[in-house]
Amino acid sequence: MALPTDSTQPRLAPGCRWGANGEDKVLLFPEGALRLQGTGQKIVELCDGQRTFAEIVAELQAHYNSNAGEIRDDVAGFLEQLKQKRIVDY
Amino acid sequence: MLPNPLALIAEVTHRCPLHCVYCSNPLQMTAANLELTTQDWVRVFHEAAAMKLLHLHLTGGEPLARADIRELIAEAHTVGLYTNLITSGIGLTEARLVPLIEAGLDHIQLSFQDSREDSANWIAGTRAHAHKLELAQIIRGNKIAFTVNLVVHRQNLDHLEEMIALIETLNPDRVEIAHTQYYGWALENRASLMPTREQLENSVQVIDAARRRLEGRIRVDSVTPDYYARYPKACMGGWGQRLMLIDPAGKALPCHAAGVIPNLQFDNVRERSLQWIWQESSAFQHFRGESWMQEPCRSCDRRTQDFGGCRCQAFLLTGDAAATDPVCSLAPTHHFVEATLLQMNTERLPISKPVSISSQQQAAHENASQSAASWLYRINPA
Repeated sequence: MALPTDSTQPRLAPGCRWGANGEDKVLLFPEGALRLQGTGQKIVELCDGQRTFAEIVAELQAHYNSNAGEIRDDVAGFLEQLKQKRIVDY
Repeated sequence: MLPNPLALIAEVTHRCPLHCVYCSNPLQMTAANLELTTQDWVRVFHEAAAMKLLHLHLTGGEPLARADIRELIAEAHTVGLYTNLITSGIGLTEARLVPLIEAGLDHIQLSFQDSREDSANWIAGTRAHAHKLELAQIIRGNKIAFTVNLVVHRQNLDHLEEMIALIETLNPDRVEIAHTQYYGWALENRASLMPTREQLENSVQVIDAARRRLEGRIRVDSVTPDYYARYPKACMGGWGQRLMLIDPAGKALPCHAAGVIPNLQFDNVRERSLQWIWQESSAFQHFRGESWMQEPCRSCDRRTQDFGGCRCQAFLLTGDAAATDPVCSLAPTHHFVEATLLQMNTERLPISKPVSISSQQQAAHENASQSAASWLYRINPA
Protein backbone atom coordinates (compact mmCIF):
# COMPACT_ATOMS: atom_id res chain seq x y z
CA MET A 1 0.00 0.00 0.00
CA ALA A 2 1.51 3.28 -1.11
CA LEU A 3 1.77 6.27 1.16
CA PRO A 4 0.96 9.63 -0.42
CA THR A 5 3.85 11.63 -1.86
CA ASP A 6 4.24 15.40 -1.89
CA SER A 7 2.54 15.83 -5.25
CA THR A 8 -0.36 13.47 -4.46
CA GLN A 9 -3.76 15.15 -4.68
CA PRO A 10 -6.09 13.21 -2.40
CA ARG A 11 -9.84 13.43 -2.99
CA LEU A 12 -12.97 11.72 -1.70
CA ALA A 13 -13.45 8.34 -3.39
CA PRO A 14 -16.48 7.77 -5.64
CA GLY A 15 -19.62 7.30 -3.60
CA CYS A 16 -18.15 9.08 -0.60
CA ARG A 17 -19.58 12.42 0.49
CA TRP A 18 -20.25 14.54 3.52
CA GLY A 19 -23.61 14.42 5.21
CA ALA A 20 -24.97 15.84 8.39
CA ASN A 21 -26.32 13.90 11.33
CA GLY A 22 -27.59 16.54 13.70
CA GLU A 23 -24.71 18.69 14.82
CA ASP A 24 -22.07 16.26 13.64
CA LYS A 25 -20.62 16.14 10.17
CA VAL A 26 -20.41 12.57 8.94
CA LEU A 27 -18.63 11.05 6.01
CA LEU A 28 -21.01 8.80 4.09
CA PHE A 29 -19.88 5.94 1.89
CA PRO A 30 -21.68 2.98 0.33
CA GLU A 31 -21.40 0.57 3.21
CA GLY A 32 -21.35 2.90 6.17
CA ALA A 33 -20.53 6.23 7.71
CA LEU A 34 -17.68 7.71 9.66
CA ARG A 35 -18.12 10.35 12.30
CA LEU A 36 -15.01 12.47 12.10
CA GLN A 37 -14.08 15.17 14.53
CA GLY A 38 -11.22 17.56 15.06
CA THR A 39 -8.07 16.84 13.11
CA GLY A 40 -9.51 13.86 11.23
CA GLN A 41 -12.36 15.98 9.91
CA LYS A 42 -9.97 18.80 9.04
CA ILE A 43 -7.70 16.48 7.06
CA VAL A 44 -10.51 14.98 5.01
CA GLU A 45 -11.96 18.44 4.34
CA LEU A 46 -8.64 19.39 2.77
CA CYS A 47 -8.77 16.36 0.44
CA ASP A 48 -10.45 18.24 -2.39
CA GLY A 49 -8.50 16.80 -5.31
CA GLN A 50 -6.82 20.20 -5.77
CA ARG A 51 -4.50 20.55 -2.80
CA THR A 52 -1.38 18.41 -2.87
CA PHE A 53 -0.34 16.29 0.07
CA ALA A 54 2.51 18.75 0.74
CA GLU A 55 0.03 21.64 0.83
CA ILE A 56 -2.29 19.75 3.16
CA VAL A 57 0.59 19.08 5.56
CA ALA A 58 1.68 22.72 5.39
CA GLU A 59 -1.85 23.96 6.17
CA LEU A 60 -2.23 21.59 9.10
CA GLN A 61 1.16 22.55 10.42
CA ALA A 62 0.23 26.22 10.30
CA HIS A 63 -3.10 25.46 11.95
CA TYR A 64 -1.79 23.26 14.74
CA ASN A 65 1.62 24.87 14.98
CA SER A 66 3.44 21.63 15.52
CA ASN A 67 6.34 19.59 14.18
CA ALA A 68 6.14 19.16 10.38
CA GLY A 69 7.70 15.69 10.32
CA GLU A 70 5.29 14.33 12.89
CA ILE A 71 2.26 15.80 11.16
CA ARG A 72 3.45 14.45 7.86
CA ASP A 73 3.74 10.91 9.16
CA ASP A 74 0.39 11.06 10.96
CA VAL A 75 -1.47 12.46 7.96
CA ALA A 76 0.16 9.99 5.57
CA GLY A 77 -0.81 7.08 7.81
CA PHE A 78 -4.35 8.38 8.20
CA LEU A 79 -4.81 8.89 4.45
CA GLU A 80 -3.44 5.45 3.71
CA GLN A 81 -6.03 3.95 6.05
CA LEU A 82 -8.81 5.92 4.40
CA LYS A 83 -7.56 4.87 0.99
CA GLN A 84 -7.68 1.26 2.04
CA LYS A 85 -11.30 1.73 3.06
CA ARG A 86 -11.91 3.45 -0.29
CA ILE A 87 -13.02 6.65 1.38
CA VAL A 88 -10.15 8.69 -0.05
CA ASP A 89 -8.42 8.17 -3.39
CA TYR A 90 -5.05 9.39 -4.57
CA MET B 1 -32.51 6.38 25.39
CA LEU B 2 -32.89 4.25 22.28
CA PRO B 3 -30.77 5.62 19.43
CA ASN B 4 -32.51 5.91 16.07
CA PRO B 5 -31.55 3.48 13.32
CA LEU B 6 -28.71 4.27 10.92
CA ALA B 7 -30.29 3.07 7.72
CA LEU B 8 -33.58 2.29 6.07
CA ILE B 9 -33.96 -0.66 3.73
CA ALA B 10 -36.83 0.04 1.34
CA GLU B 11 -38.08 -3.09 -0.40
CA VAL B 12 -40.05 -1.03 -2.88
CA THR B 13 -41.47 -3.97 -4.81
CA HIS B 14 -41.28 -7.75 -4.89
CA ARG B 15 -41.63 -7.79 -8.68
CA CYS B 16 -38.44 -8.93 -10.37
CA PRO B 17 -37.48 -10.09 -13.86
CA LEU B 18 -35.01 -12.56 -12.32
CA HIS B 19 -35.88 -15.78 -10.55
CA CYS B 20 -32.69 -16.38 -8.60
CA VAL B 21 -32.71 -19.60 -6.65
CA TYR B 22 -31.00 -17.94 -3.68
CA CYS B 23 -33.35 -14.94 -3.41
CA SER B 24 -33.81 -13.72 0.16
CA ASN B 25 -37.34 -12.45 -0.44
CA PRO B 26 -40.07 -14.20 1.53
CA LEU B 27 -41.87 -17.10 -0.11
CA GLN B 28 -45.10 -15.15 0.35
CA MET B 29 -44.54 -12.02 -1.65
CA THR B 30 -46.46 -8.78 -1.84
CA ALA B 31 -48.73 -8.40 -4.85
CA ALA B 32 -48.16 -5.37 -7.07
CA ASN B 33 -51.56 -3.84 -6.26
CA LEU B 34 -50.73 -3.75 -2.53
CA GLU B 35 -47.51 -1.76 -2.97
CA LEU B 36 -47.10 1.61 -1.28
CA THR B 37 -47.73 4.64 -3.46
CA THR B 38 -45.11 7.20 -4.41
CA GLN B 39 -46.58 9.58 -1.81
CA ASP B 40 -46.35 6.93 0.91
CA TRP B 41 -42.65 6.34 0.21
CA VAL B 42 -41.90 10.04 0.00
CA ARG B 43 -43.47 10.55 3.43
CA VAL B 44 -41.42 7.64 4.81
CA PHE B 45 -38.19 9.19 3.44
CA HIS B 46 -39.03 12.54 5.01
CA GLU B 47 -39.65 10.83 8.35
CA ALA B 48 -36.41 8.87 8.03
CA ALA B 49 -34.43 12.04 7.37
CA ALA B 50 -36.09 13.75 10.33
CA MET B 51 -34.94 10.80 12.47
CA LYS B 52 -31.43 11.46 11.14
CA LEU B 53 -31.09 8.14 9.35
CA LEU B 54 -28.12 8.25 6.99
CA HIS B 55 -28.56 5.60 4.31
CA LEU B 56 -31.46 4.51 2.15
CA HIS B 57 -31.05 1.16 0.45
CA LEU B 58 -33.54 0.80 -2.39
CA THR B 59 -34.06 -2.86 -3.05
CA GLY B 60 -36.74 -5.37 -3.99
CA GLY B 61 -37.46 -7.45 -5.97
CA GLU B 62 -36.12 -5.22 -8.65
CA PRO B 63 -36.52 -1.57 -7.62
CA LEU B 64 -36.39 -0.52 -11.29
CA ALA B 65 -39.70 -2.32 -11.75
CA ARG B 66 -41.25 0.75 -10.15
CA ALA B 67 -42.03 3.44 -12.70
CA ASP B 68 -41.48 6.13 -10.06
CA ILE B 69 -37.94 5.08 -9.08
CA ARG B 70 -36.41 8.35 -10.32
CA GLU B 71 -38.84 10.36 -8.24
CA LEU B 72 -38.15 8.22 -5.17
CA ILE B 73 -34.40 8.74 -5.53
CA ALA B 74 -34.83 12.48 -6.10
CA GLU B 75 -36.98 12.87 -2.98
CA ALA B 76 -34.64 10.80 -0.83
CA HIS B 77 -31.67 12.81 -2.05
CA THR B 78 -33.45 16.11 -1.41
CA VAL B 79 -34.03 15.24 2.24
CA GLY B 80 -30.36 14.29 2.59
CA LEU B 81 -30.38 10.49 2.56
CA TYR B 82 -27.47 8.62 0.99
CA THR B 83 -29.17 6.59 -1.73
CA ASN B 84 -28.07 3.13 -2.78
CA LEU B 85 -29.78 1.23 -5.59
CA ILE B 86 -29.49 -2.55 -5.32
CA THR B 87 -30.34 -3.88 -8.74
CA SER B 88 -30.19 -6.72 -11.23
CA GLY B 89 -29.81 -4.06 -13.90
CA ILE B 90 -32.69 -5.43 -15.93
CA GLY B 91 -34.68 -2.47 -17.21
CA LEU B 92 -31.71 -0.15 -16.96
CA THR B 93 -30.22 1.58 -19.99
CA GLU B 94 -27.97 4.60 -20.17
CA ALA B 95 -31.04 6.72 -21.01
CA ARG B 96 -32.64 5.62 -17.76
CA LEU B 97 -29.48 5.57 -15.63
CA VAL B 98 -28.38 9.16 -16.27
CA PRO B 99 -31.58 10.72 -14.85
CA LEU B 100 -31.19 8.54 -11.72
CA ILE B 101 -27.66 9.85 -11.20
CA GLU B 102 -28.84 13.40 -11.85
CA ALA B 103 -31.59 12.86 -9.30
CA GLY B 104 -28.86 12.24 -6.71
CA LEU B 105 -28.22 8.51 -6.70
CA ASP B 106 -25.02 7.98 -4.71
CA HIS B 107 -24.23 4.35 -5.33
CA ILE B 108 -25.32 1.43 -7.46
CA GLN B 109 -24.89 -2.24 -6.66
CA LEU B 110 -25.18 -4.67 -9.54
CA SER B 111 -25.35 -8.41 -8.96
CA PHE B 112 -23.79 -11.13 -11.08
CA GLN B 113 -24.76 -14.79 -10.82
CA ASP B 114 -21.63 -16.29 -12.41
CA SER B 115 -18.83 -15.56 -14.87
CA ARG B 116 -20.18 -18.09 -17.36
CA GLU B 117 -23.22 -17.01 -19.25
CA ASP B 118 -25.03 -20.33 -19.41
CA SER B 119 -24.57 -20.94 -15.70
CA ALA B 120 -25.44 -17.35 -14.72
CA ASN B 121 -28.68 -17.50 -16.68
CA TRP B 122 -29.45 -20.89 -15.21
CA ILE B 123 -29.09 -19.57 -11.65
CA ALA B 124 -31.11 -16.43 -12.41
CA GLY B 125 -33.77 -18.42 -14.26
CA THR B 126 -33.62 -15.96 -17.12
CA ARG B 127 -31.22 -14.55 -19.70
CA ALA B 128 -29.78 -11.59 -17.89
CA HIS B 129 -26.01 -12.06 -17.97
CA ALA B 130 -25.18 -10.45 -21.32
CA HIS B 131 -27.24 -7.38 -20.46
CA LYS B 132 -25.51 -7.05 -17.09
CA LEU B 133 -22.10 -7.07 -18.78
CA GLU B 134 -23.17 -4.33 -21.16
CA LEU B 135 -24.72 -2.34 -18.37
CA ALA B 136 -21.60 -2.58 -16.19
CA GLN B 137 -19.64 -0.75 -18.91
CA ILE B 138 -22.30 1.95 -19.03
CA ILE B 139 -22.31 2.36 -15.25
CA ARG B 140 -18.52 2.64 -15.20
CA GLY B 141 -18.70 5.28 -17.92
CA ASN B 142 -20.79 7.46 -15.63
CA LYS B 143 -19.84 9.26 -12.49
CA ILE B 144 -21.28 7.03 -9.78
CA ALA B 145 -19.89 4.72 -7.13
CA PHE B 146 -20.20 1.14 -8.33
CA THR B 147 -20.21 -2.12 -6.42
CA VAL B 148 -20.51 -5.53 -8.00
CA ASN B 149 -22.13 -8.17 -5.87
CA LEU B 150 -21.36 -11.84 -6.42
CA VAL B 151 -23.56 -14.32 -4.63
CA VAL B 152 -21.60 -17.53 -4.30
CA HIS B 153 -22.67 -21.08 -3.51
CA ARG B 154 -22.03 -24.70 -4.40
CA GLN B 155 -22.90 -24.20 -8.08
CA ASN B 156 -20.45 -21.41 -8.89
CA LEU B 157 -17.74 -21.53 -6.21
CA ASP B 158 -15.49 -23.80 -8.25
CA HIS B 159 -14.74 -20.94 -10.62
CA LEU B 160 -14.64 -18.07 -8.19
CA GLU B 161 -11.25 -17.00 -9.58
CA GLU B 162 -12.77 -16.69 -13.01
CA MET B 163 -15.66 -14.67 -11.57
CA ILE B 164 -13.29 -12.26 -9.87
CA ALA B 165 -11.23 -11.94 -13.06
CA LEU B 166 -14.38 -11.01 -14.96
CA ILE B 167 -15.35 -8.44 -12.35
CA GLU B 168 -11.87 -6.98 -12.52
CA THR B 169 -12.43 -6.16 -16.21
CA LEU B 170 -15.57 -4.23 -15.21
CA ASN B 171 -13.49 -2.08 -12.85
CA PRO B 172 -16.00 -1.41 -10.06
CA ASP B 173 -14.97 0.49 -6.93
CA ARG B 174 -15.85 -2.47 -4.83
CA VAL B 175 -16.78 -6.11 -5.12
CA GLU B 176 -18.83 -7.86 -2.50
CA ILE B 177 -18.50 -11.63 -2.49
CA ALA B 178 -21.41 -12.90 -0.48
CA HIS B 179 -21.97 -16.49 0.44
CA THR B 180 -25.64 -17.34 0.20
CA GLN B 181 -27.59 -16.87 3.41
CA TYR B 182 -30.26 -19.45 3.94
CA TYR B 183 -33.61 -17.68 4.12
CA GLY B 184 -36.55 -17.52 1.76
CA TRP B 185 -35.87 -19.21 -1.56
CA ALA B 186 -32.27 -20.01 -0.64
CA LEU B 187 -33.43 -22.15 2.26
CA GLU B 188 -35.77 -24.02 -0.08
CA ASN B 189 -32.79 -24.68 -2.35
CA ARG B 190 -30.23 -25.26 0.37
CA ALA B 191 -29.33 -28.79 -0.72
CA SER B 192 -28.24 -27.45 -4.11
CA LEU B 193 -26.55 -24.31 -2.79
CA MET B 194 -24.64 -25.19 0.38
CA PRO B 195 -20.93 -25.30 -0.44
CA THR B 196 -18.72 -28.15 0.65
CA ARG B 197 -16.07 -27.45 3.26
CA GLU B 198 -13.43 -27.85 0.57
CA GLN B 199 -15.13 -25.24 -1.63
CA LEU B 200 -15.41 -22.89 1.31
CA GLU B 201 -11.77 -23.22 2.29
CA ASN B 202 -10.67 -22.72 -1.28
CA SER B 203 -12.88 -19.64 -1.60
CA VAL B 204 -11.31 -18.07 1.48
CA GLN B 205 -7.89 -18.38 -0.15
CA VAL B 206 -9.10 -17.07 -3.49
CA ILE B 207 -10.73 -14.07 -1.80
CA ASP B 208 -7.62 -13.33 0.26
CA ALA B 209 -5.44 -13.46 -2.84
CA ALA B 210 -7.84 -11.19 -4.74
CA ARG B 211 -7.92 -8.74 -1.85
CA ARG B 212 -4.13 -8.46 -1.93
CA ARG B 213 -3.91 -8.26 -5.69
CA LEU B 214 -6.65 -5.63 -6.06
CA GLU B 215 -5.67 -3.55 -3.05
CA GLY B 216 -5.96 0.14 -3.78
CA ARG B 217 -7.94 -0.52 -6.98
CA ILE B 218 -11.02 -2.53 -6.10
CA ARG B 219 -12.08 -3.05 -2.53
CA VAL B 220 -12.98 -6.67 -1.82
CA ASP B 221 -15.55 -7.37 0.88
CA SER B 222 -16.85 -10.79 1.71
CA VAL B 223 -19.68 -12.35 3.65
CA THR B 224 -18.90 -15.74 5.12
CA PRO B 225 -21.34 -18.63 5.31
CA ASP B 226 -22.49 -18.80 8.91
CA TYR B 227 -23.26 -22.53 8.86
CA TYR B 228 -19.50 -23.12 8.83
CA ALA B 229 -18.65 -20.46 11.39
CA ARG B 230 -17.90 -21.16 15.03
CA TYR B 231 -20.07 -18.28 16.22
CA PRO B 232 -23.13 -16.71 14.65
CA LYS B 233 -23.24 -13.46 12.74
CA ALA B 234 -24.24 -10.26 14.54
CA CYS B 235 -27.44 -10.29 12.53
CA MET B 236 -28.57 -6.75 11.49
CA GLY B 237 -26.24 -5.35 14.17
CA GLY B 238 -28.75 -6.50 16.75
CA TRP B 239 -32.53 -6.77 16.49
CA GLY B 240 -34.09 -3.32 16.32
CA GLN B 241 -30.74 -1.64 16.92
CA ARG B 242 -29.52 -0.24 13.62
CA LEU B 243 -31.77 -1.03 10.72
CA MET B 244 -35.36 -0.84 9.70
CA LEU B 245 -36.87 -2.55 6.68
CA ILE B 246 -40.10 -1.50 5.01
CA ASP B 247 -41.67 -4.14 2.77
CA PRO B 248 -43.52 -3.27 -0.46
CA ALA B 249 -46.87 -3.02 1.35
CA GLY B 250 -45.49 -0.76 4.08
CA LYS B 251 -44.94 -3.34 6.80
CA ALA B 252 -42.01 -2.38 9.03
CA LEU B 253 -39.68 -5.28 9.85
CA PRO B 254 -36.47 -5.53 11.87
CA CYS B 255 -34.93 -7.60 9.02
CA HIS B 256 -35.66 -9.19 5.64
CA ALA B 257 -36.87 -12.47 6.99
CA ALA B 258 -38.66 -11.45 10.20
CA GLY B 259 -42.05 -12.22 8.65
CA VAL B 260 -41.38 -15.94 9.12
CA ILE B 261 -41.48 -15.64 12.90
CA PRO B 262 -45.00 -16.42 14.12
CA ASN B 263 -46.95 -14.18 16.48
CA LEU B 264 -44.96 -11.02 15.80
CA GLN B 265 -47.14 -7.96 15.23
CA PHE B 266 -45.73 -5.80 12.47
CA ASP B 267 -46.92 -2.23 12.18
CA ASN B 268 -47.42 -0.48 8.88
CA VAL B 269 -46.12 2.92 7.77
CA ARG B 270 -49.59 3.57 6.36
CA GLU B 271 -50.91 3.74 9.92
CA ARG B 272 -47.95 4.67 12.08
CA SER B 273 -44.99 7.02 11.87
CA LEU B 274 -41.52 5.60 11.44
CA GLN B 275 -40.49 7.06 14.81
CA TRP B 276 -43.45 5.45 16.59
CA ILE B 277 -42.72 2.10 14.96
CA TRP B 278 -39.06 2.22 15.92
CA GLN B 279 -39.83 2.97 19.55
CA GLU B 280 -43.16 1.28 20.17
CA SER B 281 -43.81 -1.47 17.64
CA SER B 282 -43.97 -4.77 19.50
CA ALA B 283 -42.09 -6.58 16.72
CA PHE B 284 -39.11 -4.25 17.15
CA GLN B 285 -39.20 -4.55 20.91
CA HIS B 286 -39.58 -8.32 20.98
CA PHE B 287 -35.91 -9.31 20.65
CA ARG B 288 -34.38 -5.95 21.47
CA GLY B 289 -31.85 -6.08 24.27
CA GLU B 290 -31.18 -9.29 26.20
CA SER B 291 -34.24 -10.12 28.29
CA TRP B 292 -35.53 -12.64 25.71
CA MET B 293 -32.30 -14.63 25.76
CA GLN B 294 -32.05 -18.23 26.91
CA GLU B 295 -28.98 -20.11 27.98
CA PRO B 296 -26.27 -20.37 26.79
CA CYS B 297 -26.69 -16.82 25.35
CA ARG B 298 -27.94 -15.27 28.58
CA SER B 299 -24.66 -15.79 30.42
CA CYS B 300 -22.35 -15.80 27.38
CA ASP B 301 -19.61 -13.20 27.05
CA ARG B 302 -20.27 -12.98 23.32
CA ARG B 303 -23.90 -11.87 23.72
CA THR B 304 -22.92 -8.21 23.34
CA GLN B 305 -21.02 -9.01 20.11
CA ASP B 306 -23.36 -11.29 18.21
CA PHE B 307 -26.64 -10.82 20.13
CA GLY B 308 -27.34 -14.55 20.03
CA GLY B 309 -27.20 -14.58 16.23
CA CYS B 310 -30.15 -14.52 13.91
CA ARG B 311 -33.69 -14.86 15.30
CA CYS B 312 -35.13 -15.91 11.96
CA GLN B 313 -32.53 -18.63 11.49
CA ALA B 314 -33.16 -19.82 15.05
CA PHE B 315 -36.85 -20.15 14.24
CA LEU B 316 -36.35 -21.69 10.80
CA LEU B 317 -33.96 -24.36 12.05
CA THR B 318 -35.22 -25.07 15.58
CA GLY B 319 -38.82 -23.83 15.65
CA ASP B 320 -37.98 -21.47 18.54
CA ALA B 321 -37.18 -17.88 17.59
CA ALA B 322 -35.68 -17.20 21.04
CA ALA B 323 -33.23 -20.09 20.84
CA THR B 324 -29.52 -19.56 20.38
CA ASP B 325 -28.80 -19.40 16.65
CA PRO B 326 -28.03 -23.07 15.90
CA VAL B 327 -25.01 -22.16 13.78
CA CYS B 328 -23.32 -21.27 17.08
CA SER B 329 -21.01 -24.07 18.22
CA LEU B 330 -22.29 -23.46 21.77
CA ALA B 331 -25.96 -23.87 20.83
CA PRO B 332 -27.74 -26.94 22.22
CA THR B 333 -29.26 -27.38 18.76
CA HIS B 334 -25.97 -27.06 16.89
CA HIS B 335 -26.29 -30.71 15.89
CA PHE B 336 -29.00 -29.66 13.38
CA VAL B 337 -26.41 -27.63 11.54
CA GLU B 338 -23.73 -30.28 11.91
CA ALA B 339 -26.04 -32.90 10.49
CA THR B 340 -26.85 -30.67 7.51
CA LEU B 341 -23.17 -30.02 6.86
CA LEU B 342 -22.30 -33.68 7.20
CA GLN B 343 -24.89 -34.51 4.60
CA MET B 344 -23.68 -31.73 2.28
CA ASN B 345 -20.10 -32.93 2.59
CA THR B 346 -20.58 -36.65 2.26
CA GLU B 347 -23.44 -37.15 -0.16
CA ARG B 348 -22.54 -36.05 -3.61
CA LEU B 349 -25.84 -34.46 -4.45
CA PRO B 350 -26.57 -34.31 -8.12
CA ILE B 351 -25.57 -30.99 -9.58
CA SER B 352 -27.04 -30.28 -12.91
CA LYS B 353 -24.61 -27.91 -14.55
CA PRO B 354 -25.82 -26.30 -17.70
CA VAL B 355 -23.74 -27.07 -20.74
CA SER B 356 -23.42 -24.80 -23.72
CA ILE B 357 -26.65 -25.23 -25.55
CA SER B 358 -28.42 -23.77 -28.51
CA SER B 359 -31.67 -21.91 -28.02
CA GLN B 360 -33.57 -24.80 -29.63
CA GLN B 361 -32.31 -27.10 -26.93
CA GLN B 362 -33.05 -24.61 -24.17
CA ALA B 363 -36.51 -25.89 -23.28
CA ALA B 364 -35.46 -29.51 -23.15
CA HIS B 365 -32.45 -28.60 -21.08
CA GLU B 366 -34.52 -26.64 -18.57
CA ASN B 367 -36.79 -29.61 -18.05
CA ALA B 368 -33.83 -31.88 -17.55
CA SER B 369 -32.09 -29.61 -15.04
CA GLN B 370 -35.23 -29.22 -12.99
CA SER B 371 -35.56 -32.91 -12.49
CA ALA B 372 -31.89 -33.43 -11.69
CA ALA B 373 -31.19 -30.62 -9.26
CA SER B 374 -34.61 -30.07 -7.67
CA TRP B 375 -34.14 -26.37 -8.12
CA LEU B 376 -36.94 -24.06 -7.05
CA TYR B 377 -36.97 -20.80 -8.94
CA ARG B 378 -38.23 -17.68 -7.23
CA ILE B 379 -41.63 -16.84 -8.60
CA ASN B 380 -43.04 -13.39 -9.15
CA PRO B 381 -45.84 -11.95 -7.03
CA ALA B 382 -49.27 -11.58 -8.59
